[in-house]
Amino acid sequence: MLEVKTLSKSFGGFVAVNRANLSVEKGEIVAVIGPNGAGKTTLFNLITGVLKPENGKVFFKGEDITGLPSHEVCKKGISRSFQVVNVFQRLSIFENVQIAILSRERRTWNLFTPSSKLAVEETNEILESVGLMGKKGRTTGLISHGDRKVLEIAMALGGNPELLILDEPTAGMAPEETSRCIELIKDLSGKRGLTILFCEHDMEIVFGIANRIMVMVRGGTIIQGSCNEVRSNQAVQEAYLGGSDVC
Amino acid sequence: MFKNTLGGKGRIVGSAVIVLLFLFPLFLPRFYIYLISIILLTGLLATSLNLPLGYGGIFQFHHAVFYGVGAYAAALMITKSGLSPWVGFVVGPFAAAFLSLIMGLICIRLSKLYFGMLQISLGSLVWIIVYRWYSFTGGDNGIHGIPVPEIISSQNNAYYFTLLVTLLSLWALYKIINSPFGSALQGIRDNPVRSGMIGINVKLHQLMVLVIAGFFAGVAGSLFIVVDTAVFPDMLFWTLSLEVLIMCLLGGWFTFLGPMLGAAVIISLRTFVSGFTDYWTLPLGILMMLVIFFLPNGILGYIQDKLYGKIAEQAEAVEQTDLAQPAVKES
Amino acid sequence: MDLIYTIFSPKLMSQIFVGLSRTVILFIVASGLSLILGVLRIPNIWHGSLYMVGAFMTFTISGAIGGGSLGFWMALFLAPLGVAFVSLIAERSFFQHLYEREHIMLLLLTFAFSLVFGDLVKMVWGMEYKSVPVPRVFQGSVHLFGGLPFPLYNVFLLGIGPIVAVALWLIVNKTKIGKISRAAAVDREMVGAVGINVSWVFAFVFMIGCLLAGLGGALVAPTVNVSLGMDHTLIMEAFLIVIIGGLGNIWGALLGALIFGLAQSLGILIWPQFGIVFPYAAVIVVLLLRPTGLLKSTW
Repeated sequence: MLEVKTLSKSFGGFVAVNRANLSVEKGEIVAVIGPNGAGKTTLFNLITGVLKPENGKVFFKGEDITGLPSHEVCKKGISRSFQVVNVFQRLSIFENVQIAILSRERRTWNLFTPSSKLAVEETNEILESVGLMGKKGRTTGLISHGDRKVLEIAMALGGNPELLILDEPTAGMAPEETSRCIELIKDLSGKRGLTILFCEHDMEIVFGIANRIMVMVRGGTIIQGSCNEVRSNQAVQEAYLGGSDVC
Repeated sequence: MFKNTLGGKGRIVGSAVIVLLFLFPLFLPRFYIYLISIILLTGLLATSLNLPLGYGGIFQFHHAVFYGVGAYAAALMITKSGLSPWVGFVVGPFAAAFLSLIMGLICIRLSKLYFGMLQISLGSLVWIIVYRWYSFTGGDNGIHGIPVPEIISSQNNAYYFTLLVTLLSLWALYKIINSPFGSALQGIRDNPVRSGMIGINVKLHQLMVLVIAGFFAGVAGSLFIVVDTAVFPDMLFWTLSLEVLIMCLLGGWFTFLGPMLGAAVIISLRTFVSGFTDYWTLPLGILMMLVIFFLPNGILGYIQDKLYGKIAEQAEAVEQTDLAQPAVKES
Repeated sequence: MDLIYTIFSPKLMSQIFVGLSRTVILFIVASGLSLILGVLRIPNIWHGSLYMVGAFMTFTISGAIGGGSLGFWMALFLAPLGVAFVSLIAERSFFQHLYEREHIMLLLLTFAFSLVFGDLVKMVWGMEYKSVPVPRVFQGSVHLFGGLPFPLYNVFLLGIGPIVAVALWLIVNKTKIGKISRAAAVDREMVGAVGINVSWVFAFVFMIGCLLAGLGGALVAPTVNVSLGMDHTLIMEAFLIVIIGGLGNIWGALLGALIFGLAQSLGILIWPQFGIVFPYAAVIVVLLLRPTGLLKSTW
């Protein structure tokens, strides 16, 4: 479904992503791991149009989407959550998700119908499925970090994506929140049939739910394979020697 | 719209205010009617500014250009062509919207402060052309004695016309803010990257809001001609732009009626103070400083925060049991 | 010599020199503005008022010390210092508390200050125009270019310009505090993390910038009617110059001032009624081609 071929990006002299490769099949859950600074978020930014790559290509469902701006990428069916929480602080949880839906429905050019009447059911449905229904009226500037990360995912769902890209979805979450999040991801993949690409630091989570794993070191892909293949790979073990900083 | 600002009681207060506005000419002296007319149209101007500013997060630093261009376009149309003044009144807002589109296309590539400063540059150019083109625009004298249709030429009728148009415009702007477009706009204000990521074409939406804001600024300009039968180059000068910005800030730029309130306060204050002394800008400056330091969300913003602060407190109490955010590592 | 005479008519050369003297004033003021904008990220609207105050103070000081040459020199020295002092107080008392807030608040505060000072000047000095006499040493003109007179004072300005430019360049590039300021412009947190008191760096930069505004005002005083409203026109021009030069770039301010000053004087030569529009048109052309300014900005 998603093919990334020799993608590269530098900032000044610093090479952030160096001829990275990635493939994600429909219905899979793929994880990207690597030490700190390996370029995972930059890779996601390149795929989703937040940054423009210098070299390489990105294909989604066979179509070349390299370099398209974010809003175009979103319309193709890719949604994304951010590592550093990126929500609409002054609006309520409900409104945050609602906007995502309205945007998908191309309704944002509607100047006169009151928003409060549109997409209410769908918004509630999503909020219910992620467990935020009880807090939907709260201003997002005021909710907990864990809830905000879940909201990130909820907003991504609003776009009704085929591919969901999650950037460190459980970062900063407490244990109960983390397990809830994992369940949610499994649900999204199993029940909703979404294809999921994510990156994480917690190896247990990664090996727990990923079908395949891609390992990034210093901007480049070392290997992409099943959990066992990755665990037994020489290069991967070398990359993690001497550092407790795993992914 | 009052419901959102002040709760259920707001509806009653709001209706009372509107009824009062309609009754004013019956008992208030002429001067006050004139003053209120000015307040209404300036409030409309401020509200139109607040669309990109408070709801869109765009640094619209030279909004007065659209007001002035709208007014001048209408004035020139009325005085130079042989057509009815009504044509002029309609031409004004569209001219302003058109200019807004052009300037928007030029400035929108840049963000934040750069956008604001570029707008000031372009606006200053427009001002200087109007100021210098004596033969066409009357230069620093402006244009006086603009003929206005009979039916709205009397002081009271001009007032009613202004009131009507202002209410209609506010209603339209209110609808826009509460529409999906308005939601998308606020999303862009809060987080442009996020907005792009959920499929919103940020630049295009911003351009649209600039055009709408320009249009209604032009409406305010046309209204000024109805009330004052004159136009002046000062209407285009950057000091007016900043004054209107102060009105939004003073009233509360995250609220809908804040700008109108700000306009009322500042114009009333100016009229009152000017009665005593020549030094109006000093108190205005001091007022600004007070607002900046103590009331950054404006008067209505402050009231709103107080009213809804209680709800937020309860939410926070629940939040205390959740964990705090740890540092985030780079991937 | 003959060839030069045919290409550059005396009138043209004379106008160019007039334009250049105007450039000097514009440069001095704009460089101060650019400095504040580049390091503190404040669009300092108050700058115009300080320029005006500098001019009015020059009037008062030179008048108080007998109105002769000595008066002027004293004023040239004291007025900018006075302005710098006032700006320091303002920065420490008011501006520094807003650095953590949104930028627009700082802009509005500088506007508030300009409003207040606009009236203060009116109160202290009244509403009529003031005249500052040209110091005796510079009275009269030199005859260049086919006999057209060129005021000696303007020659003085043409001399001062490069001196200020070089001095500024030395301070910004060669002194320790200059280097710290440049670093703070790019990454203020990093500078703070290295243990430097960023707050005082900002105060210093703000003061220097404002001093330049006062200096510009003092220098321009003998050549114009010192009047209310000087602040408004000048701040508009200064901002435009800073934008086309590149935010925070001192050489950009010089380039912008050159374009502006020359466009104005040449414009008036070519089209007397509308000549004043030329610099603004030049600004638009530049911005259409290079919206971020001609030279690199620090933003």
